[in-house]
Amino acid sequence: MNKIRKRAVSVLLLVALLIVGMGFYMFELFRDGSDWASFSANQGVYDNGSLSTGTITDRNGVVLSAPGEGGRVYNDDPAVRRAVLHAVGDRWGNIGTGALYVFSSKLIGYDIVQGTYSVDGSGKTLELAIDADLNVAALNAMNGCKGTVAVADCETGEIICMVSSPTYDPDNEPENFDSEEYDGAFLNRFLSASLTPGSTFKLITMAAAIENIPDLFDRSFTCEGTYSVGSDVVTCTGVHGSIDAEEALAVSCNCAFAQIALELGSETLCEYAERYGFTESFEIDGVKTVAGHFEAAPEGSVDLAWSGIGQFTDLVNPAAMLRFVSAIANGGKAPELTMLKNSKTAKTERIIDADTAARLSEMMNYAVYRTYGTDNFPGITMYAKSGTAEVAGEQPHAWFTGYGVYGDRTLSFVVVLENGGYGSVMAGSVANTVLQKAFGLS
Amino acid sequence: MTVFTDKIEQLAASIYGHIGGSYPYFTAVIRYLLPLLALIVIIRCAKSLLREKFEPEEWGILTMAGGIKYTLYHWENTIGRAKSSDVCINYPTVSRSHGALIRDSGGSWTVYDLNSKTGIRVNGEDVVGSREISSGDIVSVGGADMVFLPLDKTGERTQAEQRTKPGRVIKPGVTLFLLTLFQVFLGLQCCIAGRDALDGRIPLGFIALTALMWFAYIFTRIMRRSAFEIETLAFMLSTVGMAVTATSVPSDMFKQVLFMIAGLVLYFALGWFLRDLNRAKKMRWPIAAAGLVLLGINLVLSEAVFGAKNWLSIGGFSFQPSEFVKICFIFAGAATLDRLFAKRNLILFIGFAGCCVMALVLMSDFGTAIIFFVTYLVISFIRSGSIATVFLSVGGAVFAGMLAISMRPYIAARFSTWRHAWDFVNESGYQQTRTMSAAASGGFFGVGACEGWLHNVVAANTDMVFGVVCEELGLILALILIASIILMAVYVVKYAEAARSSFYTIAACAAAALFIFQLTLNVLGCVDILPFTGVTFPFVSKGGSSLIACWGLLAFIKACDTRQNASFTVKMPKKVKYTGDLDDTADLYRDYEDDTDSDVQPDFTDTDWRWNDE
Repeated sequence: MNKIRKRAVSVLLLVALLIVGMGFYMFELFRDGSDWASFSANQGVYDNGSLSTGTITDRNGVVLSAPGEGGRVYNDDPAVRRAVLHAVGDRWGNIGTGALYVFSSKLIGYDIVQGTYSVDGSGKTLELAIDADLNVAALNAMNGCKGTVAVADCETGEIICMVSSPTYDPDNEPENFDSEEYDGAFLNRFLSASLTPGSTFKLITMAAAIENIPDLFDRSFTCEGTYSVGSDVVTCTGVHGSIDAEEALAVSCNCAFAQIALELGSETLCEYAERYGFTESFEIDGVKTVAGHFEAAPEGSVDLAWSGIGQFTDLVNPAAMLRFVSAIANGGKAPELTMLKNSKTAKTERIIDADTAARLSEMMNYAVYRTYGTDNFPGITMYAKSGTAEVAGEQPHAWFTGYGVYGDRTLSFVVVLENGGYGSVMAGSVANTVLQKAFGLS
Repeated sequence: MTVFTDKIEQLAASIYGHIGGSYPYFTAVIRYLLPLLALIVIIRCAKSLLREKFEPEEWGILTMAGGIKYTLYHWENTIGRAKSSDVCINYPTVSRSHGALIRDSGGSWTVYDLNSKTGIRVNGEDVVGSREISSGDIVSVGGADMVFLPLDKTGERTQAEQRTKPGRVIKPGVTLFLLTLFQVFLGLQCCIAGRDALDGRIPLGFIALTALMWFAYIFTRIMRRSAFEIETLAFMLSTVGMAVTATSVPSDMFKQVLFMIAGLVLYFALGWFLRDLNRAKKMRWPIAAAGLVLLGINLVLSEAVFGAKNWLSIGGFSFQPSEFVKICFIFAGAATLDRLFAKRNLILFIGFAGCCVMALVLMSDFGTAIIFFVTYLVISFIRSGSIATVFLSVGGAVFAGMLAISMRPYIAARFSTWRHAWDFVNESGYQQTRTMSAAASGGFFGVGACEGWLHNVVAANTDMVFGVVCEELGLILALILIASIILMAVYVVKYAEAARSSFYTIAACAAAALFIFQLTLNVLGCVDILPFTGVTFPFVSKGGSSLIACWGLLAFIKACDTRQNASFTVKMPKKVKYTGDLDDTADLYRDYEDDTDSDVQPDFTDTDWRWNDE
């Protein structure tokens, strides 16, 4: 019987197997439970694939989307529904960067201890950083143009305005999603598009020049309307004559920047595009932005000259641009951007040297004074750079980016109007409208 | 009957009327209360099973001239030079495994010579094979002469009276009361949450379950048995099974109660049958043969359900024969010590196990086939102690498995989903992904009984019942249920030390191993840690055959409990007024009597009641 007793212990091997297996399950539950609970077949929180729990409000508590009797309901105002669509997301998860999709586990209120349980079964309330009214104003200002407008608070990193166009009313979905009108309607262009930046890229070229051309501010550049590179020419918007670096940025002189780009070389330009976060994807609340593109053109070529002017094959993601100008506003430190309401000071990461950032600030402010017109931004101290990105066979993309200061608030912005025409005129006025509203001036 | 159900329905409706609007808050409290009660119940059972004083039984002694005394702690004892022998005689003339001294359930002792070199002699005569011995006989083993003195009837009674009876420190009645509270709260929650299907079935089902449980308890108390831990655990598991029925198929509540009754009947019947070791030994092979016949009939007249042809339908009544064959399988596998030393003691059993597994594979019931195979491994290891046999068996099974996969590619297809369920969410990973999603939704405390959704998925109340329990009652309760079965296994291993016969130990270990492995396949299969095989969670999964068979298997586990007055499967010496008069031979030779016909009426108002208080 002694032997039998010893051999009986073999049963405990099976017990050990079960316990190890359960331990492994608990580990997986701990690691992936949130994803499991957010699975769209989870009938406890989804109704026919549409999230049936969790309320989304804007920063002022305006309900943008909430669970209702017959499924998910949106804000009563169609204008609000259209303006916040890309921030909130649609019912079916077509807009993959919408809060309904990205923050589903937060909306469900999943945590390992309580699961998806809540006493009244309505889930959690999520406060977004956006201001619904500001979004409506931005969308209206875009006047039907495709593109994006985004505004961030440089201190907290909150994105208080984020609009992407084309958009639609989720309570009155169009049937012709395939048509030209709704081309890319599911895309949040702020996060998920990359476009030719045009002259806004000159900020990057200028930053590289400040740090790599010691006598930059003692130099003068000659602009005769064109600049020859070998057998090719770089054309300028005007004939600027003999100008210094500050003036070159303010009037956006292509001839001057062609010379700077050629002097810096493709390697240096590549390094700066990368350092400032333009060539790689980054995350906003876990959502990956689309990476931009900067290609090293052959030394001494006209392509290299154009790449320093934001043409050639350059592509920039609007979110990356917003992060860059926010860093300039913050003395070189990029705040961590967020789509969620956040009252704390954001974590920052230094991406630009402090002196360089200060220099760029001065030059952007001068550009407003010199070119864009201080009067066009009443009451706001503006720092900006425009861009008119030539795209083959179409109207150019209008860019306007920078930051405005009013009182103790600093708001950075990026406006992109696809095929919107001349940058500072079109996009500049959109930026002004939105900032006036954001600062409470209108 | 209808009047009664109407009354119950009215009662449930009025309870709902009272709780009504505050129902969400009722659930909010219940979901914490249930795991807490379950935890207290299992802790009390664990303490009672594992921490109470351990007292071995003494069945006789062998004394040598020098005053050396060997106590016989079991009915079956090996004699030899090996350290693992029960009677270890360190003489060079004694073989490592020299002989065995075995008592049958009638009380007569036999000495066996296990092909020793120097042989065994009783009163100077050589033993050829075996020989019955009685008190005072001189047993010579390798030149060591020992006087054999078995415990007589009076001694047995004295021993029975002196040994501690369980249930005095941890009172089973209190534990059962806590479990009743658990049932009441769970039942209330089910009644209110499942009010749409309110026709009195849910409340009646729970009331019937609680009544059955107390009936079983009182019945064992009448039999003067004071341990109820194993049954308490099984009732707790069954209670959750009842909640699973209430959430998934409330119309089957009565059916589930009938299955519970059938299970309990089988439990007590099988337990009673196991009391008499001689009878159980004799009936081993007829029972095993019956199992084979059942599987054979199943194979010929089968009905495919979910791909596996393991259902048999007779006169509108369908059942799964393989569930009942589990009991036959354990009968075939259990053996007394004398069999274990016989040459090729395993051959017949290996053949039997092979037939069972083959039949199950032919029915495409691979999950059950693997359970039988693992149970076979445990039994054959305990019987032979041979790792080689185990490796050989596993090797053979792997080979056979490969052969099967090469012949039936769809089996391999099942494995392709394994660990990749999320890549096939609407195909072969459908059930696993839903289980994981629902289980995560429940968190630690669940969303409330009858408030989940997983039960709508096909086979959720059987194969994926772990997910349903996690979703509705929470992870903690699910873990407590798993721990309940683990506790049974640990207890079986612990009590192997005090076993009377290897028959009971092997049977109990086999039943425990079967439970544990089946549980492992069920739980880890539906969360994609093991391949999804579709076997049941013992006692919790809905389904008649499975539930009844689980209660049957529980009888084997109960039969290994040798604590005094613990198990109704172990006979007690008849209670007598001890007069000290040893000449009262009539009393001495009176055989064991069945204890159930005792005219001593216990007093149930006092849970500390002891049968021998005089």
